[in-house]
Amino acid sequence: MLRRVTLLILVMLLLALPALAQEATPEAAGTPAIAPQACEQPGSLTMWVWDENWAEVIGQAIEAWQADYCPGAEVDLQVQPWGQYWDLLKTNVAGGDMPDVFNMSQDRFYFYASNDALLDLQPYFDEAGVDTSLWGSGMIDPYRWGDNQDLYAGPVNWDTIAIFYNKDLFDAAGVEYPTAEWTWDDFAEAAAALTDPENDVYGAAVYAEYQSGYPNWIAATGTTPIVEAGRTRCTLTDEGSLEALNFLKGLYDEGYMPSVSVVGGTSPDDAFNFWLAGKVAMVAGGSWKLPEAIEKATFDWDVVQLPRNPETGRSRSIVHSVGYVASANTENPDLAANLILYLVSDEGQKFFADAGGVAPANPALQQQWIDSFGDAGVNIQTFVDALQDSQGVTVFDEIWDKINTELVVNIFDQGMSVEDAANDACEFINTQLPEQAQ
Amino acid sequence: MLTSFLNWFGRTPLTRRRALWGMALVAPNVLGLLFFFGIPVLMAFATSLQQWNAIKPPVFVGLENFMRLATDPAFWQALFNTLKLMAMVTWAEIVLALIVAVLLNQRLRGRAILRTVYFLPVVTSTVAAAIVWAWIFQPRYGLIGNLLAPFGLGDVGWLTSRDLVLHPIAAVTVWQRLGFDMVLFLAGLQTIPRVLYEAAIIDGANRWQRFRHVTLPLLSPTTFLVVVLSVINGFQIFDQVYIMTARTTRGGVGGSATTLAYFLYQSGFIRSEFGYASAIALVLFLITLGVTVLQLRLQRRWVYYEAGEQR
Amino acid sequence: MSAWRQQEPAYTDLSLPLKLLTYLILVAGAVIMVLPFVWMASTACKPPPELATLPIRWIPENPMCLQNLAELYETSPNFSRYMLNSAILTIGRTVGQLITCSLAAYGFARYPFPGRNVVFALCIGLLMVPFQAIIIPEYLLLRQLDWLNSFRALIIPGIFSAFAMFLLRQAFLQIPLELEESAMIDGANPLQILRHITLPLSGPALAAFAVITIQAAWNDFLFPLVVANSPDTRVVTIGISLLQGERSTPWNLLMMGSFLATVPMLLLFVVLQRYFIEGVAMSGVKG
Repeated sequence: MLRRVTLLILVMLLLALPALAQEATPEAAGTPAIAPQACEQPGSLTMWVWDENWAEVIGQAIEAWQADYCPGAEVDLQVQPWGQYWDLLKTNVAGGDMPDVFNMSQDRFYFYASNDALLDLQPYFDEAGVDTSLWGSGMIDPYRWGDNQDLYAGPVNWDTIAIFYNKDLFDAAGVEYPTAEWTWDDFAEAAAALTDPENDVYGAAVYAEYQSGYPNWIAATGTTPIVEAGRTRCTLTDEGSLEALNFLKGLYDEGYMPSVSVVGGTSPDDAFNFWLAGKVAMVAGGSWKLPEAIEKATFDWDVVQLPRNPETGRSRSIVHSVGYVASANTENPDLAANLILYLVSDEGQKFFADAGGVAPANPALQQQWIDSFGDAGVNIQTFVDALQDSQGVTVFDEIWDKINTELVVNIFDQGMSVEDAANDACEFINTQLPEQAQ
Repeated sequence: MLTSFLNWFGRTPLTRRRALWGMALVAPNVLGLLFFFGIPVLMAFATSLQQWNAIKPPVFVGLENFMRLATDPAFWQALFNTLKLMAMVTWAEIVLALIVAVLLNQRLRGRAILRTVYFLPVVTSTVAAAIVWAWIFQPRYGLIGNLLAPFGLGDVGWLTSRDLVLHPIAAVTVWQRLGFDMVLFLAGLQTIPRVLYEAAIIDGANRWQRFRHVTLPLLSPTTFLVVVLSVINGFQIFDQVYIMTARTTRGGVGGSATTLAYFLYQSGFIRSEFGYASAIALVLFLITLGVTVLQLRLQRRWVYYEAGEQR
Repeated sequence: MSAWRQQEPAYTDLSLPLKLLTYLILVAGAVIMVLPFVWMASTACKPPPELATLPIRWIPENPMCLQNLAELYETSPNFSRYMLNSAILTIGRTVGQLITCSLAAYGFARYPFPGRNVVFALCIGLLMVPFQAIIIPEYLLLRQLDWLNSFRALIIPGIFSAFAMFLLRQAFLQIPLELEESAMIDGANPLQILRHITLPLSGPALAAFAVITIQAAWNDFLFPLVVANSPDTRVVTIGISLLQGERSTPWNLLMMGSFLATVPMLLLFVVLQRYFIEGVAMSGVKG
């Protein structure tokens, strides 16, 4: 009974938090980073998103846009299941029915941009006086296209990677908690000390999946992970890539990291669930995992920046940002661009910041996002810090299985050497690069 | 001219009338099928002669896609995987479903519950199935891992091995199809007149002889249906690959679990080569058609129709 | 028809060892069959902290079925509407297929016409093209008809089926010709014979048809997704998949949704399986 009452109080507190946070934020402190503009002519738009929660948040933002900046505009907001979003988009594109405005991810951008299917938003950003450099380069560079490297998307959110660690296991093993200054060597040492075969506990699980896994470690050496930006060549056989992969494979060979089979898969959820189950002390996880960890972890935990490469001294995180893009064939390009401008503005992004969970791309709203978690006792600022030296996504869907599952399985399950696995992957990746690059 | 047409149509007024009735009876379904599925299939086949990424206008390339298929190792691997899977699955599925149906067709306590349970996989969500099967084959913590641990095989990565991955996929396929086939067999078993068994018992036939000489022959139209459907389905195995490898390797390490249908999906929706994907579909169609026509021809040898005019 | 008669399976009782063996085999198989369903039900009742435990936990320590149900409806307020849409689609397709496919099956089974086998093979041939290959053409076709996002698109293409036709044809072929012939001599036309003799004699096959068609329609996902994913026409399978975001997978809600969607199918099977043991009285005709 007592538990239930506590739970109820907690829930009520959580519900009240956004309201409190809003009151605490002073209204219009200084000039906004991005200011929306009134639309010139209302019209109607269709818009696609892939998540029911997002649809709700974006729906609120659109209503505010309609009320304040574009009375009379109509937006048909449609939700498509994430698992089939891209297949459906291609199906609709084939029928010439691309939605006017839709969500895009960095690894899918190339296909649509290279086929001239997207609206160039740069002129609209320029006209509205938006300094696009306020978004970090990792966040928007993957959305640039053409000779002038124009920006084709308005970034919605970002997520970065950090190490989630189980404090209880650290305490039990007598290992000190890590700091933002720690290096790969410190990490290896901790992983060794935390591994406890008798209790079936591993030190770390940090290799799996493009975004959370080994590419972060490659980036820390200064090498662009997997594919050079612009799809010019495969970098997996570069020195930095081999160094990072061999470092991780060393930990795996020592038994400090579980194999893919033991974890149960190569999805980032698998390793994270392994961590939640208390089977591994340190896991690489994205900022999107914060709500889940707060909700599910039954032990004490915190997050810390990825360890630094000893030579470069850099701790780097892959950053991914979902963007809003518009169709090149939309009947209302000005209106579509106006809506996107609003959605990425301080006003439009407030809805995301308040909803919590997803970190809004607009830099003016980072504190509000951190506050949305309330007093979780977790160093959430780590993820914002990770933005400083971050790496945008350069891989793409066609090679996803190869680098995200096969390479990982080959090295961290089948015992293939890093060199062989990297050569094998590059051989395939080369077949998927544009002709002129080969 | 007219007479020859009429003769072709039927020699007597009665057969002509029957022929007209036949056409009228099949017309709604056949025309509907041709319109709603025949047209899309023709469109897909037309696409197989084109290069098309769904955005840019298609370009006619003649038989280029087919020539590329012939030399694409990924295609041959997918074809080989598909045939291997079918060899593992089809007979097991039919034999097991027949055994379960026959056993469940007896006077047994709790048979209604058992029947429902065997039907469960047909209706349970594939997401739940995916998780449970991934768990079953997970080394160390999984069911099979635990069972095989005493033999030192607890840490075998079934789903991450190139050589083993088809086995769990075959197992899931059988598991998923069993209830479906069972329903068909159970219905078929009911059409066998009881008097035949009674007569067999009077003749002194034992249980096996009754099964062999009464049940099997009289069930053969159902068995034929099940065989044809299971072969057609075998060529299209897609969900099972998805179920088993969604959380591990998506199509197996090095494509070791990639079937033709999965390869088709990859080529089209992931690599945006819809012309190539359609060419795969056409080849898959022709292979399946060939096998099915063969089955239709061979059915005369073993399918026994109680009545009717199967020609 | 009064031709219905309760018929026990035509086997003599099993001896005890045989019976035990039978149970052993059946129960062992049943355990594997039931696992995913149990997992689904158990996950549907788990609080979030229990979703990621190792080794796997089959019975939640703190079950919270009703809370999860409430949360499902909070996240997806129109879930009942989706169920209703699924029911409309299922009923429409099943009734439609019962008509079109039994007519066609009867025609193919009993009324030879020139080219019958070619036409039949053509229809079966349509089963052999994987749906992944015709997603886009199917979309383009229904777009051309201006049917997208309507119940027409959900139901009408689905009332034609080569599979159901094949199933029913095989069943009709097993029915003794004598009954039909005597009716024909009495001057009944084919439709009357189908309605009053063939269909009533096909009880188990019709039950099998119903079970398979209904579950296929209810569980259909890709087709409705491509042609009718608007809030008004959305079916329950899509509703469930919408709970899963790019970054969030609320397993308990997903499984609660799946569980709700599975229960009607199970009840249906329990009701219809009665017909699998109610044989048709044919002893009067043969032997």
